[in-house]
Amino acid sequence: MTFQRPILWIHEEALGANNPALQAWPEAPAVFVFDTRWIQDAKISRKRLGFLYENALNLPLTLRKGDVAAEVLAFARRHQADGVVSSSAVDPRLKRIGEAIDAELPLGLLDPEAFVELPRPPRLGRFSRYWREAEAVVWKGYSPAC
Amino acid sequence: MPSAAPPSINGDLPRQFASRDALNTLLAQEFPEAEGELSPIRGGREAADEKLRRIDARRYAKSRNNLKGAVTGLSPYIRHGVLTLAEVRDSVFARIRNRDEGGKLINELGWRDFWQRMWLDLGDGINNDQEPFKTGHDAGAYSRELPTDVRDGTTGLACMDGFRDQLITTGWLHNHARMWMAAWLVHWRRVHWKAGADWFMQHLLDGDPASNHLSWQWVASTFSHKPYFFNRGNLERYSDGSYCDGCPCAKSCPFEGSYEQLENQLFTPIPTIPDSGKSRNQQRNRQSRSSGGASAALARPKR
Ligand SMILES: Cc1cc2nc3c(=O)[nH]c(=O)nc-3n(C[C@H](O)[C@H](O)[C@H](O)COP(=O)(O)OP(=O)(O)OC[C@H]3O[C@@H](n4cnc5c(N)ncnc54)[C@H](O)[C@@H]3O)c2cc1C
Repeated sequence: MTFQRPILWIHEEALGANNPALQAWPEAPAVFVFDTRWIQDAKISRKRLGFLYENALNLPLTLRKGDVAAEVLAFARRHQADGVVSSSAVDPRLKRIGEAIDAELPLGLLDPEAFVELPRPPRLGRFSRYWREAEAVVWKGYSPAC
Repeated sequence: MPSAAPPSINGDLPRQFASRDALNTLLAQEFPEAEGELSPIRGGREAADEKLRRIDARRYAKSRNNLKGAVTGLSPYIRHGVLTLAEVRDSVFARIRNRDEGGKLINELGWRDFWQRMWLDLGDGINNDQEPFKTGHDAGAYSRELPTDVRDGTTGLACMDGFRDQLITTGWLHNHARMWMAAWLVHWRRVHWKAGADWFMQHLLDGDPASNHLSWQWVASTFSHKPYFFNRGNLERYSDGSYCDGCPCAKSCPFEGSYEQLENQLFTPIPTIPDSGKSRNQQRNRQSRSSGGASAALARPKR
């Protein structure tokens, strides 16, 4: 990644120290934003917000709330950043937010460590098909202690 | 990990709290529309590590279907990336003496990975019925609203009201409780799976459309070959009778009956595939799924 002064966008899928953006840029300013529209639309309860909050407090980041893309971009301006780094997400909502950020300022995405690295995308549809391809690869990482 | 407080400006949410109550108060101010209180389940790496340390893969394999079984309680931390599935996998590897001991738990981690991959594929399509219902009822026959007595936990069924209370106060439920509750809502109360799934999402700390919506659809039969249902014997067994003893509805329990009786009562006749007799117990949920759903009639736990 060619950024000189990026900021990090930490989202709900990667609130751990092993977040690849935090690992790659440990000194960069980082932000987590509570998505107020999602919280309202999905009627997310306070327990879930408290849980997210407590996870976020473990990490060296600034907490904000509001429109996520707008908040991340404002945070980037605040730190005169030349880009945003985040971890790739599964949730389409987070992907859309990423696209909105990227439309204004380049966004670089890093993949979190995978559960299983498969040589080609597995066949989905039913678990059995996936597991037939994945199980042996998962267990390759295991060696009995003694 | 050190978390030196970054310089704060207007609109930054606080990072210092005198107590958990103070966090609760702040959340009430900042998110007045978000209902309820904090969960007794705490966020953060320390709490997650404590749960990691307690993993007992061998006991897990034997007891995971029981409400009091040795399940890990890791789902909220995994869902939000406090722990990656890869870290949990490695923790399991470090704790087992041979592959057999960890097989079941590693397989369950695989389920999470599988649902995530499905979600990547489906995107927002995850909100729709993946297939038609195989219950003999039309999608339109299912209510799109969650009944008030369910939401309020006033149905009189000690088990379901109890699961509802646990969901609301803690934001976590055992897998079996989730399956029973989903099956009851969809098949007995005729509520569309999406209404139930959305309600779960409001409250579950691990709420995740991948695992949640697709499991609801699996129960409903819009993502499986046959609906999942249960009977009183099954619930009583895996909850050690803790709900049925003293339930006001014990004498008029809607779950009382053989699987055949309940099937006739709940579903209008559709062709079934006979039970191959291979499954030994409740594990068959997995077997019927992991056999590609080919023997979908197995979606009936044995007593
Ligand atoms: C109707 C219904 C809704 C559900 N909604 C969710 C949800 O929103 N989020 C969620 O994470 N899980 C969901 N599940 C799956 C499962 O119930 C929970 O992951 C599990 O109960 C969490 O408890 P645990 O961490 O003690 O699990 P354990 O049994 O200890 O398993 C360890 C980990 O493996 C994964 N896992 C285990 N079982 C499953 C499964 N059946 N599907 C996917 N992953 C699994 C989880 O990450 C879990 O933390 C749902 C299941 C049903 C039937």
